[in-house]
Amino acid sequence: MHEVSIALSLLDIAKRYCDREGYKGIESIGVKIGKASGVMSEALLFAFDAVKIDTIAEKAHLIIDEIPVSGFCSTCNNNFSVEETYVLCCPRCGDISFRLETGRELDIYEMEVF
Amino acid sequence: MKVKVVTRILEANDRIAVENRRLFNDAGVYVINLMSAPGAGKTSFIEQTISEICRGGKKLYRKLSIGVIEGDIAGTDDAQRIERLGIPVVQINTGSACHLDANMVNEVIVDLPLNDLNLLIVENVGNLVCPAEFKIGEDMKAMILSITEGDDKPLKYPLMFQESSALILNKIDLLPYTNVDIEKIKKDSLSLNKSLKIFEVSCKTGEGIAEWIEWLQSLVT
Repeated sequence: MHEVSIALSLLDIAKRYCDREGYKGIESIGVKIGKASGVMSEALLFAFDAVKIDTIAEKAHLIIDEIPVSGFCSTCNNNFSVEETYVLCCPRCGDISFRLETGRELDIYEMEVF
Repeated sequence: MKVKVVTRILEANDRIAVENRRLFNDAGVYVINLMSAPGAGKTSFIEQTISEICRGGKKLYRKLSIGVIEGDIAGTDDAQRIERLGIPVVQINTGSACHLDANMVNEVIVDLPLNDLNLLIVENVGNLVCPAEFKIGEDMKAMILSITEGDDKPLKYPLMFQESSALILNKIDLLPYTNVDIEKIKKDSLSLNKSLKIFEVSCKTGEGIAEWIEWLQSLVT
């Protein structure tokens, strides 16, 4: 639901980078979106296409790398990765004392500029 | 040409949130970001908190000087309700945005008498999803779940339960009239966030409000 705000932040970062480094336009922006970040990829793509009009990123496409949810459980000494969006307990031992390691990402990792 | 640009997408928001936090800390104000779905009772809960602090015109909790920021998509009803209680309040209308962000809060800080306050409650836009993603410069996130929303909500909307330090279960006076399993709400919430502090309150009867304020007092220096 807040994907428009995320898309606007993305554009703002990209624009400021290009202004600073002297680039004229953007062909693509690569982002990592964790599956537990609360952001839907489809909605973000839609929002980005709507907000990029008349900006330096007008022709840019968004490349989304979805990052699965993974973590480490200190009770059973187990690294795990799951398909689900959220983890409530360690998938092996069921304990709740685990640490999420990936899945909350909301990062830009590269851009193609000219 | 490909270039590596490693940046958090919400970096701009986070930067302003840090600035807000510094302004609040310098003034000695503890800030609570209060979130919930629409209709869970955020404004009523703030009203009850204020009324309990100043019950019968006598300030029972002398340590607390409270101010409020009201976040709504449109309208000033909530700010008017707080203003009637004689508390400094600012209304933010987000237009269409489904959450408050750090910049919106930054713009209204100047309208609050920060130096006279030690507690600021920021009522976020009613929404159980997006507000949890955006830092606004708060010391603590707290959320309200009214029991009539159902006992399935923690597992359906886990992020807010994970991000919050306090969970206020409101409308417990309605418990006898529903099939809601309040123990399930508590168990599921704690499985998402084992350090969550849970309060059971009724804004209608005032039950549980005193316990909440005792806890607030312990946070505010």
